Amino acid sequence: MSPFDDIGELNKRVSAARQETEARGETFYAGASRIHLAAFPPKERWNDWVELDSRAWPERKERRYSLVPTTCFNCESACGLLAYVDAETLQVRKFEGNPEHPGSRGRNCAKGPATLNQIQDPDRVLYPLKRAGKRGEGKWIEVSWDAALDDLATRIRGAIVEERENEIMYHVGRPGEDGYTERVLAAWGVDGHNSHTNICSAGGRAGYAYWLGFDRPSPDHANADVILLVSAHLESGHYFNPHAQRVMEGKQKGAKLIVVDVRLSNTATHADHWLAPHPGSEAAMFLAIAHHLVSTGRYNRNFVRRWWNWQEYLQNERPDLTPTFENFERAFLDLYAEFSFDYAARESGIEERRLREVAELVASAGTRLSTHNWRSAAAGNLGGWQVSRCLFLLNALLGAVATEGGVYPNAWNKFVPKPIYSPPHPKRWNELTWPQEYPLSMNEMSFMLPHLIRDGRGKLEVYFSRVYNPVWTNPDGFSWIEMLTDETKVRLHAALTPTWNETAFFADYVLPMGHSSERHDIHSYETHDAQWLGFRQPVLRTVRERGGEHIADTRVVNPGEVWEENEFWIELSWRIDPDGKLGIRKYFESQKVPGTRLTVDEYYGYIFENSVPGLPERAAAEGLSPLAYMRRYGTFEISRKVGALHEVSVPADELVDTQTNALGRVYTRAPKPASVNVVPVPSPDADCDGRRPAGVEVDGAVLRGFPTPSGKLEFYSPTLRDWGWPEYAAPAYIKSHVHRDNLKPGQMVLIPTFRLPTQIHTRSANAKWLDELAHTNPVWINPIDARRLGAIETGNLVRVTTEIGYFVVKAWVTEGIRPGVVACSHHMGRWRLHEVGQRQMSASVKLKHEGDSWAMHRTAGVVPYSSSDPDTGRIWWTDAGVHQNLTFPVHPDPISGMHCWHQAVFVAKAEAHDAYGDIAADTAGSRRAYEAWLAMTRPALSHSPDNTRRPYWLLRPLKPGTDAFRLPTPT
Amino acid sequence: MELFRALGALAERPTAGHAPIARSLGLPGAPDAATYTALFLLQLYPYASVYVGAEGMLGGEARDRVAGFWRAIGLVPPAEADHLATLLGLYAELRERCEEETEPLRRSALDRASCALLWEHLVPWVPLYTQKMRAIGDEFYRAWAELLERALRAEAHEHAAASLLPLHLREAPSFADPREAGAQSFIAALLAPVRSGFIIVRDDLARAARQLGLGLRQGERRFVLESLFAQERVPVLDWLEAEALSAAQGVSDAFPPVIRTFWSARAAGAAALLQRLGQTEAEFEATSARTNV
Repeated sequence: MSPFDDIGELNKRVSAARQETEARGETFYAGASRIHLAAFPPKERWNDWVELDSRAWPERKERRYSLVPTTCFNCESACGLLAYVDAETLQVRKFEGNPEHPGSRGRNCAKGPATLNQIQDPDRVLYPLKRAGKRGEGKWIEVSWDAALDDLATRIRGAIVEERENEIMYHVGRPGEDGYTERVLAAWGVDGHNSHTNICSAGGRAGYAYWLGFDRPSPDHANADVILLVSAHLESGHYFNPHAQRVMEGKQKGAKLIVVDVRLSNTATHADHWLAPHPGSEAAMFLAIAHHLVSTGRYNRNFVRRWWNWQEYLQNERPDLTPTFENFERAFLDLYAEFSFDYAARESGIEERRLREVAELVASAGTRLSTHNWRSAAAGNLGGWQVSRCLFLLNALLGAVATEGGVYPNAWNKFVPKPIYSPPHPKRWNELTWPQEYPLSMNEMSFMLPHLIRDGRGKLEVYFSRVYNPVWTNPDGFSWIEMLTDETKVRLHAALTPTWNETAFFADYVLPMGHSSERHDIHSYETHDAQWLGFRQPVLRTVRERGGEHIADTRVVNPGEVWEENEFWIELSWRIDPDGKLGIRKYFESQKVPGTRLTVDEYYGYIFENSVPGLPERAAAEGLSPLAYMRRYGTFEISRKVGALHEVSVPADELVDTQTNALGRVYTRAPKPASVNVVPVPSPDADCDGRRPAGVEVDGAVLRGFPTPSGKLEFYSPTLRDWGWPEYAAPAYIKSHVHRDNLKPGQMVLIPTFRLPTQIHTRSANAKWLDELAHTNPVWINPIDARRLGAIETGNLVRVTTEIGYFVVKAWVTEGIRPGVVACSHHMGRWRLHEVGQRQMSASVKLKHEGDSWAMHRTAGVVPYSSSDPDTGRIWWTDAGVHQNLTFPVHPDPISGMHCWHQAVFVAKAEAHDAYGDIAADTAGSRRAYEAWLAMTRPALSHSPDNTRRPYWLLRPLKPGTDAFRLPTPT
Repeated sequence: MELFRALGALAERPTAGHAPIARSLGLPGAPDAATYTALFLLQLYPYASVYVGAEGMLGGEARDRVAGFWRAIGLVPPAEADHLATLLGLYAELRERCEEETEPLRRSALDRASCALLWEHLVPWVPLYTQKMRAIGDEFYRAWAELLERALRAEAHEHAAASLLPLHLREAPSFADPREAGAQSFIAALLAPVRSGFIIVRDDLARAARQLGLGLRQGERRFVLESLFAQERVPVLDWLEAEALSAAQGVSDAFPPVIRTFWSARAAGAAALLQRLGQTEAEFEATSARTNV
C-alpha cells in the first residue's frame, strides 16, 4: 500500500461532498474572495444572509439580510446591483454587485454602491411639490399626487382633444429603460419625445449609422489584439464599468491599447500609445492610417470586396472607371491621396513616426481590432461625426466587424422584449424637436428648444423634464431660464426627478421619482457579444412580497411618497382618458381583468413569459414563474456569442417573388418574420413595388447583410449625397470649428467634454461619498501655456472667456494636457438660488439679470449642516466647482445635429474684481451664435430629394407614421 | 484533484461555506475569520512571490513569472496569479482536465502543464510555508497545513520528476552582505526568504524583542528590524543566526531533494554570514569600548 493512499481517498470524499451539495442546488465553493472578485453570497442564501455588523465591532453582532437584485440607474450601462436589505428594519444597508449579471459580472464602479447615499439623502424630494410663488422664486407647498395628476391630465387631455399634441413634451436625461415611455407617448398619439442625445452621443452615433444603419458599436474588447479608443473610456461615459473591465481583460491577454485623447486621462495612463492630437484632427489621422493600410495591401481585401458598397461609389463618383474591385482600390487611394502621414502629422501635431507606429499596430490587429468613440472628439467638434465614421473605416478595412475581438453593431448584442401593447406610430411631427433644417439630425435638437420657441415655432402646454437638468447640463443655460420663466411659452413644467436640480427650481411641480432600488424598468445593453436583460425593481417591495405581503402600489414601500414611473404613467394615462373614448386607456388596461388598470406585475409578467426566449424554461427548472425568477436574480442571459449575423443566409421561405437590384439588394414579398426582440433597427425603403428588403446577394448567396439601403456597409452614403451633402458621402475629414485656422490670435481650445469616473451628472451631488471624492473642476493648463499667460500657477484664478461670456475658475498646471488646449470637467459647478435644494455639493449663488445680460455670483460655498445624516455635519469641503456650460452658446452640427462642445476661448489671469465661480453670459450673443450655426444647414425644404422631412430608413426615437414625414406643402 | 481545490478554498477568507469543505476534509472544526486574518493577512502571506521573489514582497518578477505560466497555457492570469488558492485551484483544474482528456496529444500537454505548475510554482515554496504555518497556526490551520503538505508531497512523488532547479530558485539572488551591499539591502535580503533561506514573520520579531529585552516599535517588518538593529546589533545578529541555523537544519522533508538542498544551503549560507557579521561587530564594539575608555 502506498503511503499516499489516504490522500486519494480524501480526494474522492471531497468530490462526493461537492456533488452532493451541488445536487441540492447549493454552492459548495463559495468562490475565492481575491480571485475574479468572486466572493459573493451564494445565490441560494440570498433570502437569509448573515453578516457581522461592522459598526458593532468589537462585539460580534450578526445581522440578517435579504439580498435583492436590481439594476444600477447611475449611468446607462445597466450594471447589476444587489441590495442588502436588513431583515429587522427593512431598510437597505448597502449595495454591492450582482454576480449573476452577465454585463457587470458582480463588479461595479463607485457610482453603484453610492446609490445608498442617494436613497438616504437628507435633502431629497419625498413628496409632490407645487410652486407657491413665481417660477424660480423657491417657494413650495406639498400637494397630493391626486391633485398633481389631475392638473396634468386635464391639460394633456385638453391639448390632445384640441389637436395641440405638439405642446406636450417629455424631455429625458437618463432613460434607464428601453422604450417604455416612448410607448406611453405613442399611446397618447404625441410626437413629444425629447432626449438629451444631441448634447451627448449624436455625433458618435451618426458616424456609425451611415456605415451600419445601427447607431452604436459593440466592441469586443476582451478578445481584441489591438484596442483603439477615442475617449477617456475607462473612466467616463455609459460604457465605463462593463467596458473598462473588458479593456483590462484584453490587456491582460496581451492586447495593445491606443488612446486618442487631448488629456492624459486615467485611460490614457493605461495605454501603450497615448496620442494627444489637436482637437478635431482625429479623422485626418485615421484617414492616413486607412490610406496606409490600403496602399501597403495590409487590409482584408475579401471582406471589403464582399461587404462594402464599393460598386455604388464607383458608379456615382468614378463613372470614368470600369466597376471592378481593383479600380475601387485605385479610386480609394486617389480619394485619400492627400492623407499622407506627413499631412496627418501637420494637422494633428503628432509626430509622423508615432502615427506610423500606430498604423502598424492597427494593421497587425487583423479582425481583432476593437475601436470605440462615443463622445469625446465626436461630441466636441464641428464634423465630429466623421471621427467615429473614419474610426470605423479601420474596422471595415480590416474586416474586424462582428468578429471575435472586433466591433459588432449594438442591436445584435442587445435584447428588447416585445411588451404587452405596442401602440401605433404617432401621426404628428414635432417641429420643436425635429426642425426641418436638420433632416439628418441623429436625435432631437433638444438643446435649441429655447431658441426655437423664441422663434415662435411653438409653445408648450406641458413640459416634463424627467431625470434631466437642461438648465445645468445643456449649453446656454440662461436661455433655458428665460424660456422656463416665461409662462406664456411654457404653461406648465413638471420636473420628474429623484433629486433637486437647477431645472426643477423653475418647475411648477416637482414630482419625486425613484432611484435604482425604487423603480421598475427593464434594460439591456451591448456590453459584449451576448444578449442579456436586466430588471430594475423596488427592492423593498420585493422583500415584503417575499414575506407574503401583496404590494399594489410602490409608494407604499418607497420613502415618503416617492413613486416609480411605470405606475405613474399608467395612472396619468387613465386620468387623461378615463372612459377610454380617446383610445388611450386601452394601452394601460389589464388583460387579465379588463376594465382595471394594468399593474406592473402583469406588465412585466407578460414580457417575461412571452418575449424572453429561454426564460420561462429556466424559471420552471427552479420552480419559479418567469417574473419570480427575475425578481430573484435580476437578470437573464438570452444568448451568448451571437456572431456575424450579416453572414447568415436568408431562409428560402423568406424569399418570395424576389427582386434583386443592380447592386445586389434582394427584395421580397414575404412578410417580415415575427420577433420578440423589438430592438430598434433601421428600416431601409421597400422597392417600387412594395417588396421589403430581406437581404443582399454576396458571391451568389443571399445573406442577411446590414440594415442600410444597400444592405452592405456603406462606405458611400447615397443618403448623405441625396440630402444635400455629396462632399461627405464617403468618410471625410471636416475641419473643426476649433481648428487652428479658425482660432483668433491668442485663442485656445477649451475641452469641456470629460468627467471624473465617480460622477453621475446631476445626481452625484446627492451621493456624499462621491462628493467627498471629487468636488472641484480646475482648468487644466500646460506649463508652457501657464508661463506664456503670465506665470499662472496651480490654484491661481483664471478667467476663461468664451464667445458669449466668461467664467472664473482655478488653474491646474499640468503636463497632462496638450499645449494650446485647456480642459475643464463638466459635472461640476452645481448651484442653488434659495435655501431649498441639495446642499452637499452646491454653492449658493445670486443671479443678476438685465435685458440679455446675465451674471452669477457665488455667495457661499458648501458648508456643513445638521440633518438626519450626521455626516452632513462633517462636510469638510467648500468647493463645488464652476458651472462653465452657462457660458457656451449652442453649436449644432448642421448634419448630425450634435452640439459641438469645444469652445474657442481666451484664457487670462483673473481680473482684480473677479471672484471664484463668477459667471457672465449674454443671451443675445447666444442667439447670434444660434443663427450663425443655423445658417450652415441645408434644410429639408430646399434639399429633400423626396419632399419628406427626413430619410425614413434612419433610426428615430418614437418614429412617427410615414405620412407625418411629408413636408408641409408651401403656401 | 478536488482535494487541492478544497485545500485552496481554505486559504481564502472563511465564509459559512467553508465549514462543509473543512468537514469533508476531516479537519478539526471550522476556520475562524479572526484567526485567518491574523495568520494570512498579518503573518504568513499566501503568495508565491513573497517566498520566491528576490524582494520578498508581493508582486515583482516572481509574480510575473507565475502570470507568464498562465499565459503560456493560454489562460488569462487573474489579478493575483500567485495566490496559494489560485495556484492550487489551477493545479486541480489542470489535473482534472488531463484525466478527462481522451486525445493523447492534448492529454500529454495538460500533463506537462500540470507537472510544470507543480514543479515551478508550488513545490519550490509551499513546504516552507506549511512548515511555518504548522509552527504558528491554530489547531485548524495547523491541520490544514499538514494536510496540504502531505497532499503536495504525494503529488510531487507522482508527478514532479524534474531535476533542474525551478526557475524561481535558479534566478534568486544570493544573500546580501551589508559590507558590500549596504544595510538597506541586507535587511531587505533578511526579509526575502528565497535569499535568506528562512521566514521571519511579525511574531518572530516580537519574540526577538522579548528574548533580547529590546523595545518593539510597531510598523512594517523592515521598520521593526531596523529599530531592533538600532538598539543592539550583536544580540540581534546572533538571534538571526540562530534562526537561520535552525532553519538550515530543519528544512522540511516535504521538499524534493534538489529543492531541499537549495533551501538548506541558503539558510546555512545566511547563518554563516550572520555569524561572521556578529563576530566582526562584537570585535568592533569591543575595540570602540576600549577606545572610548
